[in-house]
Amino acid sequence: MIKFEKISLVGTIIKYFPILLLLASVLNEFDFNYMGFKYFSFNFPFILIFYWSLKKSGSLGYGLIFIAGLFNDVVVGLPMGVSSLIYLLICGFAAYLRNITLRPNLIKDWFFFLFTISLLNSLNYILLTLFFSFKISYEESLFNLFFTFVFYIIFAYIFDIYQKIIMGKLND
Amino acid sequence: MDSSRDDYVIAIRSAFLQKSNKQRFSLIGLIIFSIIFIILGRVNFPPIEYIKISIKEIVFRSSFIVSAPENFIKEKNKNIRSHFSLYKEHKNTKAKLEELKSKILVNEFTINENVRLKKIINDYLVESDKIVAKVLIDKNSPFLRSLVVNKGSKDSVKLGMAVLDKAYLVGKVVEVNYVTSRVLLLSDLNSKIPVTIEPAGIQSILSGTGKEKGVIQYLKENYNIEDQSTVYTSGAGGLFKAGIPIGKINLSKLINKKKVLDFFSDFSQLRFVQIASYEQENVLKADREAKIRAKKDEKIKAKEEAEEEARIKVEEEALIKVEEEARIKVEEEARIKVEEEVIFKKLKEKYKWKCKKTTFNRLYIEGTPEFKTCIMNKGPKKQKEKKN
Repeated sequence: MIKFEKISLVGTIIKYFPILLLLASVLNEFDFNYMGFKYFSFNFPFILIFYWSLKKSGSLGYGLIFIAGLFNDVVVGLPMGVSSLIYLLICGFAAYLRNITLRPNLIKDWFFFLFTISLLNSLNYILLTLFFSFKISYEESLFNLFFTFVFYIIFAYIFDIYQKIIMGKLND
Repeated sequence: MDSSRDDYVIAIRSAFLQKSNKQRFSLIGLIIFSIIFIILGRVNFPPIEYIKISIKEIVFRSSFIVSAPENFIKEKNKNIRSHFSLYKEHKNTKAKLEELKSKILVNEFTINENVRLKKIINDYLVESDKIVAKVLIDKNSPFLRSLVVNKGSKDSVKLGMAVLDKAYLVGKVVEVNYVTSRVLLLSDLNSKIPVTIEPAGIQSILSGTGKEKGVIQYLKENYNIEDQSTVYTSGAGGLFKAGIPIGKINLSKLINKKKVLDFFSDFSQLRFVQIASYEQENVLKADREAKIRAKKDEKIKAKEEAEEEARIKVEEEALIKVEEEARIKVEEEARIKVEEEVIFKKLKEKYKWKCKKTTFNRLYIEGTPEFKTCIMNKGPKKQKEKKN
């Protein structure tokens, strides 16, 4: 009985790992910005949400993504609801890609991700500068976009391995 | 062509409108909810403000806990680095200390003179009580440079208060919650502070760049600023007092043709900060006196209340004592009466014939007080003597 409970707990953690990682990444300084590399920053929640919404849509609940967005707004100091909107739109784009794709291809996903984050970063920029009169460095945003794009492929490989090895074992 | 367009429309509709069995909320519903949240937040709708405050209080604490392991690693990394550079730093510090010792003596005279002169023109501002706060969140975001500290309105933190790292200005309070506050750092793009560049005494505005540096804005090119000039707050606008050191001008770099400033404080290493406001000495003095007076009044009131309570208690105790004595007296009388009654009953059997009125004597009718006295006296002899 004890063994069964243990397996069940580990299984739950593995199952909810993506959402736990998302919540931890919005609450924590998970993007290595603190390392102080010039222009280096990337948006880990974008990668995480896009990948898991695309590959395993049930692993991230929309409600929890909405809450994670609110948390991110509070931690970063953005107006409430902005990150939630962007995160949910990423989910929408990923769901759209999933629906129109017959044969999944990582490179195609990768470039669709670039299109998505370019569009949504622009929306974010417009919302913050026009609607809330925030001043944001366009240069920084571009570099952030670029590194987020570059890191997608790396994290996609890592998440693929995680899915195959750990989640696969759980399904067995 | 039409069928391919239909496919895209179906895919979009399916992505945004359809709710899969694993999702509790539909995507479009939550997107609309987010937009409503943003709009209501923009117009400062009160219920949204309350939700915001509650979320902030929870998230700031949670974030501090979640960041603990990473902060620990960062702290250890910093300690190791500082150990390696210890000897070099020690030598530099020693040389600097000697230099500073001599400077202090010269400065002391200038400071006193400056204070005297400022008092004459009623521009001498003094610091209110400083609040020391711990940095809860230091999210070094590429977009916004801000900190969250663990002091809020509960600890008398107010909007616009200056935030200092030792003696150096690092930012100002832009958001106050009940137990936390957000500090906008000077390096943020949205930060604008009026400054004086010394020794030339040039007035300007310091703006953040979103990175570790600041830039001097709204300054004509013909002003001659020396390299390593020190930048202080100018006190214009009345937000900060004049003369809080901020950083040094670095002419070796230019950002968008603007002069760059290196801050004295390293914003990425802030763990504790001081929050302070500045007021005129007489205003602050009056404020402090009023506070002391209020405290004294409170003490006197408390003392009077305590005395009143004690008096009431004593009176109540006295009343209880009187009542107790009366009760004891009544009980004693009842007891005596009962005892008398018992004795009377005993004696009555024995002396009834001596006291009872009959046809042949003039004694007392049974049941009268005189009869009782007669019985208690064991015969009428005493009563008769008294009568005579």
